[in-house]
Amino acid sequence: MEFARLERHPAVAMAGVDKFYGKYQALRAVDLEIQRGEKLVVCGPSGSGKSTLIRCINALEPHDAGTISVNGIALGRDRASILDVRREAGMVFQQFNLFPHMTILENCTFAPRTSLGMARDKADALAMRYLARVHIADQAQKFPAQLSGGQQQRVAIARALCMEPRIMLFDEPTSALDPEMVGEVLRAIEELTADGMTMVCVTHEMGFARRVADRCLFMDQGEIVEAAPAGDFFDRPKSPRLRAFLAQILK
Amino acid sequence: MRFDPVLAWGSMPALLDGALMTLLVTFTVMAVGGPLGLAVSFARMSRRRPLAWFGAAYVSVCRGAPSLILLYLIYNGLAQLDIVRDGPLWFLFQHAFFCVVIAFSLNHSGYIVEIMRGGMEAVPAGLLEAGASLGLSPRQVLWKIRIPIAIRYGLKAYQNEAMLFMKSTAAVSAVTLTDLTAAANEIFYMTYDPFTPIITAGAIYWVINNAMRIGFGLLERRLNRHLGLA
Repeated sequence: MEFARLERHPAVAMAGVDKFYGKYQALRAVDLEIQRGEKLVVCGPSGSGKSTLIRCINALEPHDAGTISVNGIALGRDRASILDVRREAGMVFQQFNLFPHMTILENCTFAPRTSLGMARDKADALAMRYLARVHIADQAQKFPAQLSGGQQQRVAIARALCMEPRIMLFDEPTSALDPEMVGEVLRAIEELTADGMTMVCVTHEMGFARRVADRCLFMDQGEIVEAAPAGDFFDRPKSPRLRAFLAQILK
Repeated sequence: MRFDPVLAWGSMPALLDGALMTLLVTFTVMAVGGPLGLAVSFARMSRRRPLAWFGAAYVSVCRGAPSLILLYLIYNGLAQLDIVRDGPLWFLFQHAFFCVVIAFSLNHSGYIVEIMRGGMEAVPAGLLEAGASLGLSPRQVLWKIRIPIAIRYGLKAYQNEAMLFMKSTAAVSAVTLTDLTAAANEIFYMTYDPFTPIITAGAIYWVINNAMRIGFGLLERRLNRHLGLA
């Protein structure tokens, strides 16, 4: 049953999605399908709607028109469908957003214990496994404020993984980091992609996009302007707007 | 000005009795007013209009009125009403200590509501979003993330309020309780020494206040050790 649901449906399907902030339209009739296992990179100038797009996928922003379904679960306004979708999709934020009053380990075990009712020792073991995967298991007993930005962001990745989502959403995961810490976080994300997880990443790191992405998406003014495999995207951009954007960030 | 050490020493038992009353009032009010203030702060922040209005009115009255005025109203005023005199709670309202606890708790909790509200609003939205994105319900996010962090943010402001309020309990002598200030004043009337008893009482207030400061400091160190606030 579960397998059939995943088999039949794309990881994410958006059709005609609009999003308004007051009168300002952040997304304009967005259509997007993301396949299972696909690594999608979303880029575009600030205010282009790329963060809004990713935040709509797990209902951090409710969409105003159109349909969104995640692994076949239609996202409605009801709490049940929102919760189901959030179980499918883990999220990593620009500002890490670790819970400052909990240790690293507690940050990771909190959701599995609170929301899945997992036993403490089981949750601890799970958390240590994912902390080890992002190479930060030795910091488990510390508090977030004692860690560097890069370390905190790796913990945030482990925290999201502890809910064992099938899709990972990254919203500019390295934009708040000092330059010397960008690499360690991108490497951690890159290692995750090796095991077939679906990934959507909003980023300005073009080298990372080239290495990791199956497909790149360029957004501007709330629309998807161009979508292409990474090679074509960077080397043979079609639209003038993407060409102008690439010229600007690559110079 | 003449300070009489022999009188100061001789007054100690009476002053310490008074100090005990001061502490008893202070801690009882903190124990009653704290949870009361928390409860009303939720009403104040509620999305349900009537609840929010009740919270706002509560703060306006309880924080706006001087505690001595509230105390007179409850101790002198309520006792005049038949409904209170003949009511089931008269056995409580006839006691000055009970009236003091009610009046000061209303006042104290009025401040707590606003301290708590400030703390709640200071919790970064990103932390709440992170909780939501992990599949936690709004209730779980509220109780496990927002409130614990808000309490830590509010602790400093609460410390100020608690120390101010401890000193303001001197008003309880107006309704027959003998607190530290009242005890010092009684010794003044017996000895006509205007300095010794009141300076000694002042010193005892100083000690209590600093003990509170140290207590709050320890609590803060424990709770906020890694919050990057201290």
